[in-house]
Amino acid sequence: MGNINLINLSGFEIAKNIRENLITSKEVYQFFYNRIKELDSKLNSFIEVYEEAERKPDGDSQLKGLPIAIKDNICIKGKKITCASKILANHISVYDATVIKKLKEAGLKIIGTTNMDEFAFGSSTENSCYFTTKNPWNTKKVPGGSSGGSAAAVALRLVPFALGSDTGGSIRQPASFCGVVGFKPTYGLVSRYGLIAFASSLDQIGPITTNFIDCAYLLNIISGKDKNDSTSADIEKIDFTKYLNEDIKGLKIGIPKEYFKEGLDKEIKESLKEVIEVFKKNGAIILDINLPHTEYAVATYYILASSEASSNLARYDGIKYGFRKEEDSLSKLYTSTRRDGFGLEAKRRIFLGTFSLSSGYYDAYYLRALKVRTLIRLDFENAFKEVDAILTPTSPTPAFDIGEKIDDPLSMYLSDIYTIPANLAGLPAVSFPCGFTKNNLPIGAQLIGKEFCDGILIRLGFSYQCKTDYHKRIPEL
Amino acid sequence: MNEFDVVIGLEVHVQLKTKSKIFCSCSTEFESPPNTNICPICCGYPGVLPVLNKKALELAIRVAIALNCNINREIYFERKNYFYPDLPKNYQISQYKMPIGFDGFLELLSGKAIKIKRVHLEEDAGKLIHKENYSLVDFNRTGIPLLEIVSEPVISSPYEASEYLNYLKLTLQYIDASDCDMEKGFLRCDANISLKPKDATKLGTKVEIKNMNTFRGVVDALEYEIKRQESLLMNKKEIIQETRLWNKDLSKTISMRTKEEAHDYRYFPEPDLPDFFITDKMLEEQKKFIVEKPQEKRKRFIEQYNLSYKEVDIMISDLWLSNFFEKAISFYNRPKEISNWLLGPFLEKYNSLKDKDKIKISPENFSKIVKYFCEDKLNNLTAKTVLDLCITTNADVDDVILKEGLSQVSLEDELIKFIDEIIKENPKAISEYLNGKKEAIMFLVGCVMKKTNKKANPKVAKELLERRINEKSH
Amino acid sequence: MVDRKTVEYIANLSKIETSEEESYFLSTQLSKILDYIDKLKELDVKDVKPIRHFYLKNNVYREDVVENYNLNKEILKNSPKSLENFFKIPNVL
Repeated sequence: MGNINLINLSGFEIAKNIRENLITSKEVYQFFYNRIKELDSKLNSFIEVYEEAERKPDGDSQLKGLPIAIKDNICIKGKKITCASKILANHISVYDATVIKKLKEAGLKIIGTTNMDEFAFGSSTENSCYFTTKNPWNTKKVPGGSSGGSAAAVALRLVPFALGSDTGGSIRQPASFCGVVGFKPTYGLVSRYGLIAFASSLDQIGPITTNFIDCAYLLNIISGKDKNDSTSADIEKIDFTKYLNEDIKGLKIGIPKEYFKEGLDKEIKESLKEVIEVFKKNGAIILDINLPHTEYAVATYYILASSEASSNLARYDGIKYGFRKEEDSLSKLYTSTRRDGFGLEAKRRIFLGTFSLSSGYYDAYYLRALKVRTLIRLDFENAFKEVDAILTPTSPTPAFDIGEKIDDPLSMYLSDIYTIPANLAGLPAVSFPCGFTKNNLPIGAQLIGKEFCDGILIRLGFSYQCKTDYHKRIPEL
Repeated sequence: MNEFDVVIGLEVHVQLKTKSKIFCSCSTEFESPPNTNICPICCGYPGVLPVLNKKALELAIRVAIALNCNINREIYFERKNYFYPDLPKNYQISQYKMPIGFDGFLELLSGKAIKIKRVHLEEDAGKLIHKENYSLVDFNRTGIPLLEIVSEPVISSPYEASEYLNYLKLTLQYIDASDCDMEKGFLRCDANISLKPKDATKLGTKVEIKNMNTFRGVVDALEYEIKRQESLLMNKKEIIQETRLWNKDLSKTISMRTKEEAHDYRYFPEPDLPDFFITDKMLEEQKKFIVEKPQEKRKRFIEQYNLSYKEVDIMISDLWLSNFFEKAISFYNRPKEISNWLLGPFLEKYNSLKDKDKIKISPENFSKIVKYFCEDKLNNLTAKTVLDLCITTNADVDDVILKEGLSQVSLEDELIKFIDEIIKENPKAISEYLNGKKEAIMFLVGCVMKKTNKKANPKVAKELLERRINEKSH
Repeated sequence: MVDRKTVEYIANLSKIETSEEESYFLSTQLSKILDYIDKLKELDVKDVKPIRHFYLKNNVYREDVVENYNLNKEILKNSPKSLENFFKIPNVL
């Protein structure tokens, strides 16, 4: 193995080496397994690590033989899957999520589950019932959330890539905090069957990688209509690797002024200006656009997402699976189990959601939010008449300190201001590293695309990465 | 009773006739061992998603058409949120704002049309078994497709209620949407009942009645409840708005007594399921299954075939039976005789076999048996024998008669020697007959039947016996 | 705006026991969040038709075919408390 420096190669390149018999799949797995054991105690990005992985020897993907990490809310048959919540403590999943089946069929090996905010409620991975994951670039900072474990693990090259889930930015925001690529596909492109639901109309599973090549190959594996998911899109299978093409001449990129107002960190703003220059130099056309209802996105999101979550989390009652607080009466069984099993943020969201749906408030909150969501979607439909993609910062700030926002939920919610709209509109969006602050914290830029035009984002991102090397930097712990 | 008008509304849940559940592929098989027809989806596991059973939607459309409803062409499902152990997700996927059908009606025999407010699809909950210190949960029934049919409060008596239920059941059975077997729990009924002073416009306080598990139970419970409410009102006491359970053993309705807070179900559209578009094509396809309504069939049978109400009611209670009847008549146009044989010996055998599929005899073959009986080619006993032999095999009637030698012996010259033998062998009966005991002849006829292996024509045998005895006594 | 009584009502609907302290704490936080959310009242949404699904235009269903998942044993085993082939719970009544 000697000459191959696995942490500097993309997953695609490692897989190529396996195919060319320069290294075996087993050696690759062992390498990353050892690296996790050696370094993860400083990060706490993994919940479970598997010493061995089953593998399908005749998988047909170009990524065959590689290990991948999975966020703790995606069901893997026979494994402990807990959503980083006490209420699912020691829960062993009895089935594979569709994406897991596809990964196994493609010949990939699942190396472990990664830490997250409990039930994906959060933007910092501080709401896990286990521990807080640290940002590999600065261990006093959060890695972002809720897919903080996946993003941190990929950033530190503990694993070539990982899967996360994104409801309001949970793939993109941690990707930007950790300096990696985080892709949220068009709603319905990837099956949600086996993704433990947070907000059903917003959730999507997506890849977290170091580069757009791996991203395209992973999307090829996990995307596609699923008969087990009635909301999965009925479209022809797309080959995203066809978009790994540097030529972006003539592509129109919109810059929405609403995303560059006060509240945006100065360094991030500067960094985005550079991104615009790179795209311009490569032939893209830059246009100003308006997304007038942007300021209502966070409020809309929190009503809708919490409402759906309050209903999706009702099933955790100690009767069928998971944690149970034994009591003498049924009523107490429910209320004690859920009191002890859910963390504070989970309770907050459940209460907010229950309130928004309750009698007398449904019209004023839930229904109103559903209507505003339509307005936000229409903003994008209008914009995409003029442009092919929209460029924005991913987050208003770089990674914040651990403990900084945990007691101020509203402030935490507002950090999702740039990522939420794409979820509300069901559109594909990706965050990619585009610079560093003077304190050496990663900065992420976001591209939002038209529905099912995820390929355009790959093309733009790939061309950007051909011209820059922010994505090649690895943190030193 | 005459001072008050009775106002009843019925809410009926029927299990639709599908092989698999509404949102997963588990079997709907009745009475399977506990927790064997289950899967992660119907057990509300983390990460699972519902996928609608096409047949459930089709049957729901079919029922809505049969009940003369307006059909909502774009429907969606909603979540009804509440906690209960027989509801694994702690919400039920149902319909609220956009039911499949609304503003329909069911006509009673009197011509009164009972308005149907709505017809909608939902999933069933599981089953709870209560023990002394704990309860047990069985999820076999969770996710079974149900259709909820709600009438307007326009039913005016327990009798009307039972007629409504009967014709609702028959309508659904005729279009093969549900077996509606109340004993098996395929049809459940709750009632809302209130009394109001005659000629008053404002409705009285309504009471909900549950746990009426049979058609009889519905009538008894409503009758009891009317008396109970009447008595309270006559004594100027208040009717409490509550839910009461029918107790069959005590023959009374009993208050549930638990503090019934108004439920806040927090309905919202089900995000895991898309909207469903009911196309013209779908409507056309389901209309093909709409056959003559049971009420219409009843009217026609009475007019066309001149049968009694009792006979007609038996026939229309089973579409298969009435279809068989009409087919048989097409081969031998004697409705009364066909009916006698169908509702007599045939029905007896049919009920004892319990499985319709075991009946193999064709209507044509059946009609032949009846024809031969009417033509004296078979007598009562031999006809029954032929029926028994052919009913599960559909063996050709003529072949069977030939093979078993069952042709009725009617010819006098053939019978006469048997007659003479019997007369010789039974002097006691002969003398009793001659002494005025006329019934003794039947005993002698019996002997002839026995001697001829039942093949003798009993009428002819009796005549011959009488003649012969009289001849010999002179 | 979200007083203690409302929090108790919500806690009961969502079946989560909260102490007096927690109720108070949550009521202040929820009030603050809902104050922010009231922003939505600035918009005139009277004529907006809410879209439930953006991309699903065709009916999605499955054929009425039985499939045996063969997971009953695992499902019962996963239950925190079971008795023979049932899920066991405290007395409902």
